Amino acid sequence: MGNVGRRDFLKTAAASVAAASLLASCQTKEGEPLSQKMGGVEDQLGIEWDKSVCRFCGTGCGVLVGRKNGKIVATKGDPECWSNKGLNCIKGYFLSKILYGRDRLTKPLIRKNGKLVESTWDEALDLIASKYSEILKTHGSDAVAMFGSGQWTIFEGYAALKFMKAGLGFIAKDGVGSNHLDPNARMCMASAVAAFMRTFQSDEPMGSYEDIEHADTFFTWGANMAEMHPVLFSRIIDTKMKNPDRVKIIDLGTQYTRVSEEADLYLEFQPQTDLAIANYFAHYIIKNKRYDKQFVEDHLVFKKGETNIGYGLKDGGADIPKTAGKMEKITFGEYKKFVAKYTAKHTSKISGVPEDKLKQAAEFISDPTRKVCSYWTMGFNQHTRGTWVNQLVYNIHLLTGKISKPGMGPFSLTGQPSACGTAREVGTFVHRLPADMVVKNEAHRKIAADIWKIPVEKINPKVGLHTIEMFRATETGRIKILWTQVTNPYHSMPNLNRFTKAAKEQDIFIIASDVYPTRTTEVADVVLPSAMWVEKEGAYGNAERRTQHWNKIADSPGEAKTEIWQMYEVAKRLKVDEKTTVADIIYNFNQDNYYEELWEEYRSFTLGIGKDLAPYKVLREKHGVVWPYVARDKAVNGKIDFSDVWDDIENTEPNGFTSVKWRYNSKYDPFAARFIKDHPERSFKDGIVFYKAKKNDYRATVLAVPYEPPGEVPDKEYPFWLCTGRVLEHWHTGTMTMRVPELRRVMPRAFVNFNPEDAKKYGINRGDLVRVTSRRGSVVFPADINGRAIPQKGSVFIPFFDESRMVNEITLDQYDPISKEPDYKKCAVKVEKV
Amino acid sequence: MKRREFLKKGFALTAVGTTAGFSLISLLGKSRRLYFRPPGALAEDDFLAACIRCGKCIQVCPYNSLKYADITDGLHAGTPYFNFRRTPCYMCEDIPCITVCPTDALDHTLTDINKAVMGTAVITDREACLSLNGLRCEICYRACPLIDKAITLKKHQQTITKRHTVFEPVIHKDVCTGCGICENVCPLDETAIRVLPSERGDKAGHYIYLKEQV
Repeated sequence: MGNVGRRDFLKTAAASVAAASLLASCQTKEGEPLSQKMGGVEDQLGIEWDKSVCRFCGTGCGVLVGRKNGKIVATKGDPECWSNKGLNCIKGYFLSKILYGRDRLTKPLIRKNGKLVESTWDEALDLIASKYSEILKTHGSDAVAMFGSGQWTIFEGYAALKFMKAGLGFIAKDGVGSNHLDPNARMCMASAVAAFMRTFQSDEPMGSYEDIEHADTFFTWGANMAEMHPVLFSRIIDTKMKNPDRVKIIDLGTQYTRVSEEADLYLEFQPQTDLAIANYFAHYIIKNKRYDKQFVEDHLVFKKGETNIGYGLKDGGADIPKTAGKMEKITFGEYKKFVAKYTAKHTSKISGVPEDKLKQAAEFISDPTRKVCSYWTMGFNQHTRGTWVNQLVYNIHLLTGKISKPGMGPFSLTGQPSACGTAREVGTFVHRLPADMVVKNEAHRKIAADIWKIPVEKINPKVGLHTIEMFRATETGRIKILWTQVTNPYHSMPNLNRFTKAAKEQDIFIIASDVYPTRTTEVADVVLPSAMWVEKEGAYGNAERRTQHWNKIADSPGEAKTEIWQMYEVAKRLKVDEKTTVADIIYNFNQDNYYEELWEEYRSFTLGIGKDLAPYKVLREKHGVVWPYVARDKAVNGKIDFSDVWDDIENTEPNGFTSVKWRYNSKYDPFAARFIKDHPERSFKDGIVFYKAKKNDYRATVLAVPYEPPGEVPDKEYPFWLCTGRVLEHWHTGTMTMRVPELRRVMPRAFVNFNPEDAKKYGINRGDLVRVTSRRGSVVFPADINGRAIPQKGSVFIPFFDESRMVNEITLDQYDPISKEPDYKKCAVKVEKV
Repeated sequence: MKRREFLKKGFALTAVGTTAGFSLISLLGKSRRLYFRPPGALAEDDFLAACIRCGKCIQVCPYNSLKYADITDGLHAGTPYFNFRRTPCYMCEDIPCITVCPTDALDHTLTDINKAVMGTAVITDREACLSLNGLRCEICYRACPLIDKAITLKKHQQTITKRHTVFEPVIHKDVCTGCGICENVCPLDETAIRVLPSERGDKAGHYIYLKEQV
């Protein structure tokens, strides 16, 4: 907190909260290239306060940030942000410190004779541009890839999407842009995306965090919310404490965590058998006539998925059938018969969960009087059947009709601050365009080309290489330029050794835009020092579809620059002809109003289709806006007139907009209300309609898929399951939190967590060094036993934040054939005391 | 400083002091500092009498947690003690410091490290404690080697947001070993949780408190 007295700080901070947002828009910093809006209102201590959002997880806690002399001196939870109401976790407490680690990158670096040496921006940018020109002209856009991030601001993601998918086509010899653009969100929630699209034909959850106050039954599936979403978890506990006899928490997982400790019922299952358990719940619901008949009739379609779909273990997905994603229509009767196999006895045998516990949980989830919310994150998403298991939980909510209503719904939590806002909404994936559109679809390409004012042929219709295959292609020389931004793949990729080796040995030009030296900058040919977090204007979109904007609040150190500027400068150096550069085509925004014009162009993709984002001016004013942010008048949203249904909508704002907290529900969502009014021939008694699911006659999909084993299973030689993940104190690859001395002291190194019985069997004591070996590598970790988490017998857990001992050297590069998301939660290892 | 070197220097200084006619009272008198001793240490007076200052426990500690008391510590000089904020006791299950102790200064009958009593943790600064301020910290709780036993979380509503929970770390004296890990990891500049001597407060026992109804 610097020199500010605590009492003064609290007083002034509180006073400035309200003022900050109102006055922020009055100040802009002139004369900067690609001018960003500066914000801040001064308090009596000379600190200027402005709103922002936490840099870490997908909860999206609002924070207020205080600046003095260009530096951040204090932060505070933002009471006006509805996602957190002013509460932060310990990472949020240390937010201001992540900017000021001693080894911030402040100058561009170029590798010369094997060593990274300081250079000027001009030298670095000229080099990058000449590489792009050369490679694009000789090999075409297929040789160029970009690996981005769910920590990109929305502005950055959109600029990167245009750079790759619209811009490069003007230089490449094949005349099309490159779709080799994937975010690290591929490793994070691609399975949730695929399942949302396959079930509802629209990405992202239907409910909001407010469900927590309305619900009385919480299911957590392989999600350690207590540590990974601590602020949200404390909301669940608050709901429980207000009504302790009624409210139940049911935790399903492969290890005992702080969630299990708080849970009323804990089901510990064998890895991967969540597939069987979810099917058992569906079976229980149907067998006991607990399903909502009317809902099934009005809203659902039943399908059967392709089985034996492989694990992506062979390069190019050679072990994956082409039809892996196929879904075939079946009847409700056929579905009923399919799940009937998953009896309590059969499921108990597969999963290891006692029958009575399965029945208790099934009773809670199916009880018609209970309001059920399901939460999950990486346990489901990083799963070789991740898309399936996401859909199997939708099945349960759909059969019981517990969806799109306050306190009821399946909710996929996100791990990154803008996995939703940037990766999913902007569509920085190899197959995507903004607003759920895809490159394969000609009509979608046409819409994008019209907005971008480029010929439609410039957009490549061929889906690019998804993350794992993109990095595999660095081994074969197919990818010749890789630009990584705001991410650290040479720490976080599974089966890391093979990719690091390729980066060092292959002739591939790696550009890394980052703020600190990382394992990725270590293998890069050019390192670009970046502005981080509030050193640039930005916006993130959190898990509850809340878009949160912040102004530039602090100066960046040395010569660090925004990624927006970096891409602009490269594009400026790529000449299409004598007069025109790529920047003239894709970044043709007014320099003084760059961010607003970029936002409004991006926003035009989303209007009038139920993906509607808020205008720039509203975002700057409000402390987060949940989309769809729907305008009543056709003149404003450009497509649909809602005026005749507007009065029935709850929570409309005087400005003629409404922020939809429960999508598909006509009480809250004008699109649903409009649809129901326009379709009197259909029965929508409950006021719900899945209006995005046009292909399925506006019905959500219930999918019949079986339990299938994971890609690698423990055996005699490698007898343990390995699961990887996070801890509360550190975030992802630790590049930020490991630079906060206090957090580093709490947890200076990764550990291997044992079940006490296994530890005893192997004579391993707490603190002993243990070598963990898989078929891919071997790393030594100190042992932890009986700590914050207890893995089940026969399995070990290792967090991945520690760059000095990287668990990803032993993980397996297997992935879900549908979502292409790698499974970091299951592979086979052996352990020995060192 | 190597132990032998230190001892040599220590004796030399003492000799110099005496010959110079300095009063040694302040040096030899009992320091008012609190010394947190290795697991199994006898009560302080008995420990001081039994410890031969051989330094074996200090040398064997795999984490270099134990330090020598130096000459400014008077009679305590050469004895082992913890500075928890620097390095706590990581509670080795084989308790090597006791094994190597040549006297009974460290109680050889203590074989279960979880039964050790080096002190007891106390939240000494409730105003500063982040968890009590409603933040989701609870670092001391998660770092505690006897999590859910020595430290548990007492939950009550966050009175400001009214929709979150305060998770208050509560230390259980009968289980806490005083290992000092909580004191070590507290993320505040000045730790809000410290190990204090286990014996404190009302020792007379002339009043029996009401216990919570079972």
